Formats: sequence, C-alpha cells, structure tokens
Amino acid sequence: MRWFWVDRFTEYVAGSHAVADKGVALSDEFLHDHWLGYPVMPNSLIAEGMAQTAGLLVSELYGFKELVVLAKFTRLSFDGPLLPGQCITYRAEIGHRKEIGAQASVTGVIRKPDGSEHQQALAEIFFARLANDSAPDKGLPAKLFDPDDLCHWLHVTGVFRVGVKADGSRMQPADYGLPVYG
Amino acid sequence: MASQEEIFSKVQEALVEALGVEEDEVTPEAKLQGDLDAESIDFLDIVFRLEKAFDIKIERGELFPEDILTNTEYLQDGKLTAEGLEKLKERMPFANLGEFESNPVVQNLGKQLTVQDMCSFVEHKLK
Amino acid sequence: MRFWLLDAIEEVEPDQRLLAVKNVSYSEEYLQDHFPEFPVLPGVFMLEAATQAAAWLLRLTDNYADTVIALKEAKNIKYADFVPPGRQLRVEVTQTKKEPGTASFKVQGTIGEKNSLTGRIELERFSLADRDPELAETDARMRSYFRKWESAILRPGVFAADLAAPATPNPA
Repeated sequence: MRWFWVDRFTEYVAGSHAVADKGVALSDEFLHDHWLGYPVMPNSLIAEGMAQTAGLLVSELYGFKELVVLAKFTRLSFDGPLLPGQCITYRAEIGHRKEIGAQASVTGVIRKPDGSEHQQALAEIFFARLANDSAPDKGLPAKLFDPDDLCHWLHVTGVFRVGVKADGSRMQPADYGLPVYG
Repeated sequence: MASQEEIFSKVQEALVEALGVEEDEVTPEAKLQGDLDAESIDFLDIVFRLEKAFDIKIERGELFPEDILTNTEYLQDGKLTAEGLEKLKERMPFANLGEFESNPVVQNLGKQLTVQDMCSFVEHKLK
Repeated sequence: MRFWLLDAIEEVEPDQRLLAVKNVSYSEEYLQDHFPEFPVLPGVFMLEAATQAAAWLLRLTDNYADTVIALKEAKNIKYADFVPPGRQLRVEVTQTKKEPGTASFKVQGTIGEKNSLTGRIELERFSLADRDPELAETDARMRSYFRKWESAILRPGVFAADLAAPATPNPA
C-alpha cells in the first residue's frame, strides 16, 4: 500500500482552499479485509484524504519547507459508506493560523449516479508547525520530504497544474525552491 | 458588554468543541488539565475559538505566560521566585493564584487553571 | 496490504475495555511515503488501530451480533508522539456508552510510558440483515471470516467466551 490518499486536485488556491478527488476501487487490497462480503472505504483513510488535502494547503503557507504535521482532529464525523466505484470530493479551507500552526475544515462529498450529492465526511483538523516548537529534543528530522519526492507528489496530484496564488498567478515549483526538470 | 452568564456559556461551548468533552463536565470549578484533559495543543484550539466567539485577539503567552515560567531569572528549584510571582500576577490579573502562591511549583500552574479562570480572562480582555 | 491494524489482543474485559498492540515495521510499504525522510506510523492508522480495538471489544462481548462496526464520530484525537519502525504502539479502549446501534469509547495509544494518541470515538454498529434481510447470508460469511481473524490475533486464555453477555441469536 502506498500513501497517496488524494488522486487529483481540481482546484487549489494558495492560502485559501483546495478541492480534490479520490476514487475507490475494488482492486485496493485493503477493501477485502474491510470487510469481506461488504467492502467499504475505511473512514480512517477518508480522514487521511481530508488531512492530505488540507495538509498540502497548510504546508504551502510555510513555502513547503517546514515540518508540518497532523496534530489533532478536533472533530471527525462520517455518515454512511463510501463504496468501490464511487468517488469522494474533498474540499479543504484554511481557518485560523498562528505562529505554531494552522487549522483547517474539510468536507467529503459523494456524488450519486442520479446527480444528487451526499456529504459523507467532515473534519476539523489542526496542523502543528514543529520547526518553531521544541523540535530538536524530540529526535525530529530537518525535513519530512526530499525535494524530489515532494515535487513528485505535488506534480502527480496536479497541484502545479491547477494551483494558483492569491493574486491568480500560477504556482511554479521554482517559487518554492523545488527542482525544475529538463 | 457580555454578562458573566453569556461569557460562561460561550467559554463552555468553546471547551466542549475543542476538547470533545460533554457540556456537564465543563463546570466553573473544573480544572482544564486535570479534569478536562486539555494539553498545550488544545490551548491553541481554545484560543482560536475564544477569539472568534468574542471577537478578540489573544497573543501568545497572554493566557498562559510561558515566557515567565521558563525564564531562569525567575526560577529556583522549579519554583517561581517572589519577583517572578509578582510578574506573574501582573500578567494574570484574571487568575486566582492563591493556591499556586502557597507552593509556586511552575509545573503546577497549568494544572490549577480552571474554567472560571478562563472566564475571568475573557472578562478582563473585554474590559 | 492486509487491513489488520492490530497484531495481538492482550487483555479483554467484556463490555468494558480492551488492550491490543501494533508493531511498526519497515516492511510496511506505506512508510516509504509517510514520510520519505521520516518513516512513522500515520496518525490515522493509530486512529484505525483504536477503532479496530473497539470493534473487537464489541464483537467479542456480543459474540459477533453486529457485522458492520464503523467509525462514526471522533473528538479531540490528539497526537503527542510519533511511532517509528521498531516500536510498538499499545492501544487501550474503554467503553463509555453503549446504545442500540452505537457505542462510545475513550481511546489511548502509548509507546512505553509516553502517550502517542488520546481521544474519544463513537462507532456505529449493525448487521446487514438489520437493513436488508436478504443479506443475512453475507453476515454469516463475515462472521466466519471474523472468527478466523480472531484466532490469529487473540492470544489463548485472554478471553473466555462464557464471560461475555449471552449471544444474540443468529438468524441463520
């Protein structure tokens, strides 16, 4: 199992909000344990999808350069199953921000074949910015991602394809000191 | 100017939401750390909610003057010196520090902070 | 990968609490992404481990009456420390409320003496046949699968079924 719980960003406005899709497929191995006979997407992994959508927005606040980690789910709530063949759309918005971290609210909406929508998931998340805290005595690394790995993640999920800054200009890897290839 | 009841009810709501506790657990006497399991990360969440609920700005260290509590100038064997205690009282005019003064072990301060102290803090901020 | 977030159930008090462990190892593939420079058990997997521990407490206590036991609400899930490869997360769940269709728990994850996870969760629980009688057969297949799973992670002598509440009759 890899750890990519967002397939594709469809909207990304730095410092503000982001929208991303995640599709569920029966080829995902873990669905056969969760559960045999009644495969449904584990809600904990929907929580991760919401955290990744919001986390990439929050990390951008600090130029993708700092240690930003999930510190707290103030609240998580789920309503009904997300089934193989369905797609969930996460929408994250940045809320309060302080020197030591930022808050985000995220929803997960499933669009039904008849066009109706169902809000399946809701999260209020707090991300901590560890570099400004007492990081060294916790045995923390200088970074979570190698720039190549981070850049890869942002590219494959479409952040640089749809991402814009507050002034409407396109986000570019070079703006964040990330590698530019070719 | 909000009444004490209004302040309490908003503080209660903020604590219920930030800490995931039940409303009846949030009494004025309840200790934030001892009874409601609040930790440092929660204080941030609580501060966010208080700022929103009362339309105020709360700076870091205002509710809980970490800078005094970690300043070696004011510390001796883990306790706050008389000078430190004076500084603390200046910064926390809203808190009832009576119990803390009798044995000012720095680590205990957070543990003694109550819901009522938090209400007094808000009241002080709204003045 | 398998979605078995607990390696062993160590203590069970029916209708009250359950203690289980999860070992973290480099053979778990997702650690290469979470994070490339800092492999640690993802926070949501601590939450999933706690959810599974609570689900096992319900299954063992009620003799598998409910086949679907899922996370419905979580409040104040806090992460105080990381769990790197080589370490063991101990997960303890304490039941605080049990009502028809739901159950609530306080959850705690520790590594050694230190907390890594604290919070409160509410699970929803039902059997498929409750909602559609035609699915009783699927419930039966699920129960048989859960029993195999149980025999893998429940250490002998930890839980005696006769301590549990009387079994809810299985419609099959």
